[in-house]
Amino acid sequence: MAASFANTQVSGKVANRQVAQGRVAPFRATGVRKTAGTQIPSFYFAGVSVHQRVIAVSGARSVSRAVQTVFAVKDGAVLEGRKLRVAVIGGGPSGACAAETLAKGGVETFLIERKLDNCKPCGGAIPLCMVEEFDLPLEIIDRKVTKMKMISPSNREVDVGKTLSETEWIGMCRREVFDDYLRKRAEKLGASVLNGLFMRSEQQGTDGPFTIHYTSFADGSKMGTPATLEVDMIIGADGANSRIAKEIDAGEYDYAIAFQERIRIPEDKMKYYENLAEMYVGDDVSPDFYGWVFPKYDHVAVGTGTVVNKTAIKQYQQATRDRSKVKTEGGKIIRVEAHPIPEHPRPRRCKGRVALVGDAAGYVTKCSGEGIYFAAKSGRMCAEAIVEGSANGTKMAGEDAIRVYLDKWDRKYWATYKVLDILQKVFYRSNPAREAFVELCEDSYVQKMTFDSYLYKTVVPGNPLDDVKLLVRTVSSLIRSNALRSANSKSVNVSFGSKANEERVATA
Amino acid sequence: MQSALLNRTRGAAFKATRPNACSRSVVVVRATAETVVEKKERRLSPLERGGTLSGDQAAGKDAGEKARAMATGSTGAATFLQIVDGRFVDDRWIGGRWDLNQFKDSKGEVDWDKVIDAEVARRKLLEESPIPSINEDPVNFDTSEIPWWAWVRRFHLPEAEKLNGRAAMMGYVLALFVDSLTGAGLLEQQESFLGKLALHICVFAILLVRTSSDLDKYKGLIDEATFYDKQWNATWDGVKRPSEAESQ
Repeated sequence: MAASFANTQVSGKVANRQVAQGRVAPFRATGVRKTAGTQIPSFYFAGVSVHQRVIAVSGARSVSRAVQTVFAVKDGAVLEGRKLRVAVIGGGPSGACAAETLAKGGVETFLIERKLDNCKPCGGAIPLCMVEEFDLPLEIIDRKVTKMKMISPSNREVDVGKTLSETEWIGMCRREVFDDYLRKRAEKLGASVLNGLFMRSEQQGTDGPFTIHYTSFADGSKMGTPATLEVDMIIGADGANSRIAKEIDAGEYDYAIAFQERIRIPEDKMKYYENLAEMYVGDDVSPDFYGWVFPKYDHVAVGTGTVVNKTAIKQYQQATRDRSKVKTEGGKIIRVEAHPIPEHPRPRRCKGRVALVGDAAGYVTKCSGEGIYFAAKSGRMCAEAIVEGSANGTKMAGEDAIRVYLDKWDRKYWATYKVLDILQKVFYRSNPAREAFVELCEDSYVQKMTFDSYLYKTVVPGNPLDDVKLLVRTVSSLIRSNALRSANSKSVNVSFGSKANEERVATA
Repeated sequence: MQSALLNRTRGAAFKATRPNACSRSVVVVRATAETVVEKKERRLSPLERGGTLSGDQAAGKDAGEKARAMATGSTGAATFLQIVDGRFVDDRWIGGRWDLNQFKDSKGEVDWDKVIDAEVARRKLLEESPIPSINEDPVNFDTSEIPWWAWVRRFHLPEAEKLNGRAAMMGYVLALFVDSLTGAGLLEQQESFLGKLALHICVFAILLVRTSSDLDKYKGLIDEATFYDKQWNATWDGVKRPSEAESQ
């Protein structure tokens, strides 16, 4: 980040000619206001007027200039002659929604995505409120799931979804279709979508612009060509293995490994899964998560995940396949995929003018492992905060604006995350706890509360009397299930605190 | 003379065994077993005498299921807690629930302890060898079918007895100890504030700390309850939230 001012290497598409003419030329020629004559705009930096000039060199030749000036702009200073430039690294739901909101707000946006047809391993479930909030067309939704089945370790099945009205459903979509739609929409609104892989970034001083080095695949080659981009702010939306997070030293987080097999099953079996998803709980399937069978557009995805015992993920997958064996008989595996899922936010979600959103920030809920809605919403909220802080792209925005987004996010969704965390800690502890969980889900009050909070993303306080009854029922269910646990049971107890993964699992 | 008499008797006895046709005016002496029997009452066989009970009164005194099956020669008529072909089979498990009629004891009331035992065994079996979930074989048994007092009697009372015993022993020893130190009798001890406090601490400690691993468990719980909050607030280390800064 401490690039020496005398030796700035900038390679790009801007020709020498423009420099010779003394015109101010930002890296991309869009949105440039041509200055009259040879007037060079100046800014006040630390009280001293500083001349601003971008020195651009074509090709890969590095030229060191004797006079290189600092291109530093303080937060809140008015940007003359150009709009605020923001690069969004990663074009998934969080990146695309951030880019869309930025572009709508008048900020010059670059969206860098490495694989435009990426078929992301994902459950693919989106809540009802997302369709409304993000104006999603119903075409991108493959299936509307209206029934969820929860299956306990002793195969007790409970139909969750009795309380859903006819207009309520969980949407299942294909990530490649979904992501593509959002990116195209961002592009239509004015964001520039660049096909490239982010390599590294450098910042010229604490208030200077970022130089992003990326490998551009615009020419269609597999290897790509190195390219650079100069921007004022960066939003890291590049997912669970975020490079931006590494760059800003955001810290590590615990993550689950989710493993999924896509299986094409015969028509009659597919009919059963037409609008039904299944959740298998038990410590054969996962010690601290659940196994699932989710219907996709013409096949089902059978998978499971775990945090504490990642090396045994294949065993858990086999157990999930076994539990759903009869219902998915005669199927053919068409794809095997795995991906990390963050368990909690990173210790530092922003640094200077770099913000993290979505999976890169770690916004995945516990218990259900839901991430798409929160990714998209965080991208949007971050972009909104930047648009507001920069007064629609006319002023420089910085960490203060990003922290406004972080604060708003925490205050709005903390309750949702905490409730799901409590549910996980209480009901994913052991097999008896899971049996109690399934038993409790039979009740329609529980189902209504669960779906209301999932579909509309608000923790609605119900009738206090019903809540007390539910509490009593929860406690009695847990007591009964634990009493029914055999004295020499070999099942495990999992705790969810700060201990290392190996120490969190203990036999009963 | 005596031998002649003996001979004759012998001879008569011998003649008695011969068919009538070959005797010449001989008194046929038949040997008959004389028992005092009444027409209506048959004498009981050895298996039915000597304190043998029958019917309802003998219920529950049979040998175990397997032994009975072997003795009567019936093969596999009784299946208990088995997994056959990926399905859970048990004679008492009908329609996805325990058939409570088969758990009735001699008085005709459901023996809930046996139901609890059966369910514990079923869960353990399925834990060790999970079976696929089959739509045609739903599980309909809900543990709330077992009445609350069965749970209390089976699980709570033994534990309660143990804890009450501990409390009584601790109470007595502590009372003696305090009495020897301060000379205050049992009633006087309870009237002081410290006495009441000590009483409460003692009782709650006995209730909450039952095994030596409980202390670690509670520490772990406090850590678990606060860990997620810490992770979320990590990004605000040393930085004030805008909403807080505003309100100040």
